[in-house]
Amino acid sequence: MPLAYSLPSNLSPATVANTSSLLRIIALSLISGAAIASRLFAVINFESIIHEFDPWFNYRATKVLAEKGFYEFWNWFDPTAWYPLGRVVGGTIYPGLMATSGVIYNVLHALHLPVDIRNICVLLAPGFSALTAWSTYMFTKEMKDESAGLLAAAFIGIAPGYISRSVAGSYDNEAIAIFLLMFTFYCWIKALKTGSAFFGTLTALFYFYMVAAWGGYAFITNMIPLHALTLILMGRFSSRLYVAYSSWYAIGTLSSMQVPFVGFQPVRTSEHMAALGVFGLLQIVAFAGMVRTHVSSKQFQSILYSSVIVIGLVGALAFGGLTYKGWIAPWTGRFYSLWDTGYAKKYIPIIASVSEHQPTAWPSFFMDLQFLIFIFPAGVVLCFRELRDEHVFVIIYALVASYFAGVMVRLMLTLTPVVCVAAAVAFSSLLDTYLDPVEPAVSEAVVPSTEADSAAAASPASGSSLGTDAAAPATGKKAKKAAATESSASGLASGLIAALSPSDKSSKPRGIFGLDTRSLVIFNAFGMLLFFVLHCTYVTSSAYSSPSVVLASTNPDGSQHIIDDFREAYYWLRQNTPEDAVVMSWWDYGYQIAGMADRPTLVDNNTWNNTHIATVGKAMSSTEEVAYPILRKHDVEYVLVIFGGLIGYSGDDINKFLWMVRIAQGVWPDEIQEPNYFTPKGEYRIDDAAPATMKESLMYKMSYYRFAELFGGQQAVDRVRGQQVPKTGPTLDHLDEAFTSENWIVRIYQVKKEDPLGRDLKSANAFEQGKKRKKTKPLARRKAVV
Amino acid sequence: MRFLRGLLLPLVALVGFACARSSTGDSVLVLLDPSLKRDNFSIFFGDLEKQGYKLTFRSPKEAEPQIIKDDVAQFAHVIVFSPNTKSYGADITPQSLVTLLNKNTNLILALSTKQTPLSSLAAEFSLILPPPGTPLISHFPQRDTPATVIPVEAPSVESVISPNLPPVWFSGVPQALGTNPLLVPLLRAPSQSFASDADSDSGADVVFEASEKGGEGLWAGKQLSLVTGFQALNNARATWVGGVEMFSDEYIKKEISKGKESGNRQFVRDVAAWTFQESQVLRIDSVEHHRVNETLPQEVYTTNDRVTYEAYISKFNPELDIWEPYSGIKDLQLEFTMLDPHIRTALLPSSEPGKYAVTFRVPDRHGVFKFVINHKRKGLTYLESSTVVPVVPPRHDGYPRFLSAAWPYYAGAFSTSGAFVLFVALWLAGDEREPKKGKGSKAE
Repeated sequence: MPLAYSLPSNLSPATVANTSSLLRIIALSLISGAAIASRLFAVINFESIIHEFDPWFNYRATKVLAEKGFYEFWNWFDPTAWYPLGRVVGGTIYPGLMATSGVIYNVLHALHLPVDIRNICVLLAPGFSALTAWSTYMFTKEMKDESAGLLAAAFIGIAPGYISRSVAGSYDNEAIAIFLLMFTFYCWIKALKTGSAFFGTLTALFYFYMVAAWGGYAFITNMIPLHALTLILMGRFSSRLYVAYSSWYAIGTLSSMQVPFVGFQPVRTSEHMAALGVFGLLQIVAFAGMVRTHVSSKQFQSILYSSVIVIGLVGALAFGGLTYKGWIAPWTGRFYSLWDTGYAKKYIPIIASVSEHQPTAWPSFFMDLQFLIFIFPAGVVLCFRELRDEHVFVIIYALVASYFAGVMVRLMLTLTPVVCVAAAVAFSSLLDTYLDPVEPAVSEAVVPSTEADSAAAASPASGSSLGTDAAAPATGKKAKKAAATESSASGLASGLIAALSPSDKSSKPRGIFGLDTRSLVIFNAFGMLLFFVLHCTYVTSSAYSSPSVVLASTNPDGSQHIIDDFREAYYWLRQNTPEDAVVMSWWDYGYQIAGMADRPTLVDNNTWNNTHIATVGKAMSSTEEVAYPILRKHDVEYVLVIFGGLIGYSGDDINKFLWMVRIAQGVWPDEIQEPNYFTPKGEYRIDDAAPATMKESLMYKMSYYRFAELFGGQQAVDRVRGQQVPKTGPTLDHLDEAFTSENWIVRIYQVKKEDPLGRDLKSANAFEQGKKRKKTKPLARRKAVV
Repeated sequence: MRFLRGLLLPLVALVGFACARSSTGDSVLVLLDPSLKRDNFSIFFGDLEKQGYKLTFRSPKEAEPQIIKDDVAQFAHVIVFSPNTKSYGADITPQSLVTLLNKNTNLILALSTKQTPLSSLAAEFSLILPPPGTPLISHFPQRDTPATVIPVEAPSVESVISPNLPPVWFSGVPQALGTNPLLVPLLRAPSQSFASDADSDSGADVVFEASEKGGEGLWAGKQLSLVTGFQALNNARATWVGGVEMFSDEYIKKEISKGKESGNRQFVRDVAAWTFQESQVLRIDSVEHHRVNETLPQEVYTTNDRVTYEAYISKFNPELDIWEPYSGIKDLQLEFTMLDPHIRTALLPSSEPGKYAVTFRVPDRHGVFKFVINHKRKGLTYLESSTVVPVVPPRHDGYPRFLSAAWPYYAGAFSTSGAFVLFVALWLAGDEREPKKGKGSKAE
């Protein structure tokens, strides 16, 4: 067998094995280090601070857990959230994240390492990303081999699609959930491969952890049954599958019901019915199989199979009937919006208003996954070639996750791991092929193949290698795989052709000759990896590491300018208002106000009560006179709005205003109508041409109150909308401006008390400004009868 | 604490002067127009001083002493006896008078038939004045005084005015009342009176026609008020008087009928007492809440707890200058509110003087509730109290452990466990005896 380059031959197999395992350990620890390090941009560029919105609540909850212990946390009723409804926090959260931090905190303190709970929270996500890399390694190892595993670990470690949710400070459920997802899948594959009840139970335990940590656990709840069902339909039912699935389902379901927020959902809601159905089906199939061993008639067998189908149908009908009768909760709106992207906008604006629930734009696939997204199909195709049980899993996972990632931006997160795995499989196959020193023996004349032609046409870079490998003598599968890998890396179409039509070329000799082709491809491959790393670093540092609590801009001289309006305003609230002063704002800022300003809020990011949010929306979108009684009824003392018009911060409340209108309209269609907020031409304007309803709305008034004065007689311009603001700004009768931050991003208004003289505040204000009151006449009690 | 206070208060009362005092302070500024002779009001002012008020006089046009200095009200009460003054010192504007009221200063304001800044201020108090130059006129009863000087019956209104007063002399401008619920009319015009710019009969037709056009609700009759109290939401009191003359010595001494003194002296005394927060002044000393059979308040209550709420209310005793426990409110209510009142119940006086208590079951609804007392009665100080308590669902171990309704499930769980044990036992036992069968059924 000729070799392209010589290998040392005086090494014992044990040495090779030991060295490679050592190298693997080193590689894994380096990958972990890289995964953690690349997530620290946020800390270095800004500071060790909790990011965004939801993490602020998680952080607050974790503080309660660390200070008061688990049982107090479990029974925590937060009277400051959703004032005055309050929130039963213990029963409405996934406590996994807080519990994890709490355990780490207690362990560290038991070891006399007095680490601040904030730093644990900030660094939890990077820490768990290292674990994610490891679990992806384990998972991919089951798919192919260790080298593919290492590649997958490296990919997931720095892929921006995952980094976006796990930078330091992004203390959210997803931070630990992806690790749990991958590890649960790994345990499932392991259980399925070995048929071990132990691994099945381990799957269940990690599933339980996942249920406790993230609402996305429903993905596992449906992925595993889907996999099992596919295997059954493929005729691959085995006792291994039976043991793995049954132990997972029984223990996993029972334990998941221990999470208060989940409760009886696993037996009452549609999302969980697939798992139950497949569990039942497995029992039937197993029973049928057992019967078959006793009865050997072929006819009986077919009857048996048809009865299985009948039972399946009956089960599905029963499920439908139960849903119809209301015994099983019907699908939720969030679920419908997964299938019909327009559904949420029509029926549940509160879900559609969240930016991460929008459909994904094409560029973000490249942004988040770079070259992985191109070789991801190749990896899936490679899975088809071997098609062991676990490969079926990856294929299903890839299909499902690709769809969901296209529907919702945030589900990109679930796609990323499978992309990394599939891409690693493909990439490692490529490397395997081209690093393998074995050369095919030349015995036949060169016959160019159609396949090679097509591939060559698609990719000049790989043309040379393919052109030669067609002439090479056969060395079997590997070469074909190489061809498939190579061509699919350059183009999906040719890759598919290569993968799906290997049979007619089986007699042709395949292989790679010489060092030149090898080095060319390897060089190219390493170039891709290099650019991937550069891309990941760039994207992570520039796009995903902003805390969004602190904004950054660049000065003309290139230095960084920190815009810290949010904290400025929240600390103002904290230090200048009574502790029980209720602050009203749009729900986006509820968690931040609770976390940083420590004041009660009307609504927050836990959007459990649509009516309450609609109430705030109504107050914001109606006139002062309508809004004032609402504010007083809810004991609101301060109203907080975000206004970006001065410095061009586009995520402000005026841009979100239409969602407030829509949500309010959903509850009060008679009082709030969206078309009233547009000009007759259908434009959304804030300048002179703005409709009266818009100009009279509380939100508009609070945003532009005294804005024009800032420009000292010059034309005031809103830099977000790019429109000119009317010179005579709105007046406020029922609110007083209390605070406006440095760049006007946060504006806080104090709600006036009722006038002591019992007048309405408008006339009280007019009196205060010395305006003459219209002469009134005494009321006629009764008209004289003529 | 309460016990201690009960001991202390009489002591304080003994030490203090045995004269009437206001509950808010005894410094009074009198803005007296120079055209009105101070001596002409000597009885009224003398009575006030006798009670312990410190009167400071100032002409409206002077600049000193200021009514508000450095944002602090300088006097506890202000009497504005300048019904005809058109221009005031810089610190006195309608706005500053309202500010004064907001700062809990009590006001007595006298009106006249002239258009002055005060008459435009009256509109802010929901008082509607007739056009300038139209005093109240009544030709009844037959008397030798002009038609604009009218004896008015002064019934005891809202326990502010002493009962059984002889009629009081009034001359000045009447006020029609707007819809403001904070108004407390203290003296109504006689039924036969009306506002008109002519006291001769020549203008009678005009008045009659106007009343025809405007319906009955014109400037006539009992619906007009002559002395109107106003209690702002912060409990500061302002009293509008249609004519300053009713405070004068002349009217006080003027006899209603032969040998019968007018009620003016006592009437103006009562008006001043009410306005200066001597009479009809209540306060909530403290509120307490706790679970039944406990004494200390809970930070949070659990749904369905039985809770006792207690309020201690006292009334100001101007004679002794002390607050005395007061059990005289019969219509006090307690609301347990979250957005809407979930419970509204009578808060009745209990055996202890000044204590009002009620026990009720907390609703089966968690949230941030408020104990709310909101007692607003004409003439009386408004009693308002709001105590926030969160109501939480039971703790994780606060639910009943065993439910009789769950027996089918218990039975199911135990029977399944039992059956499993039995099955395992049978299986293990049977395996040894019949190894072949066991193997056969094991292999699927």
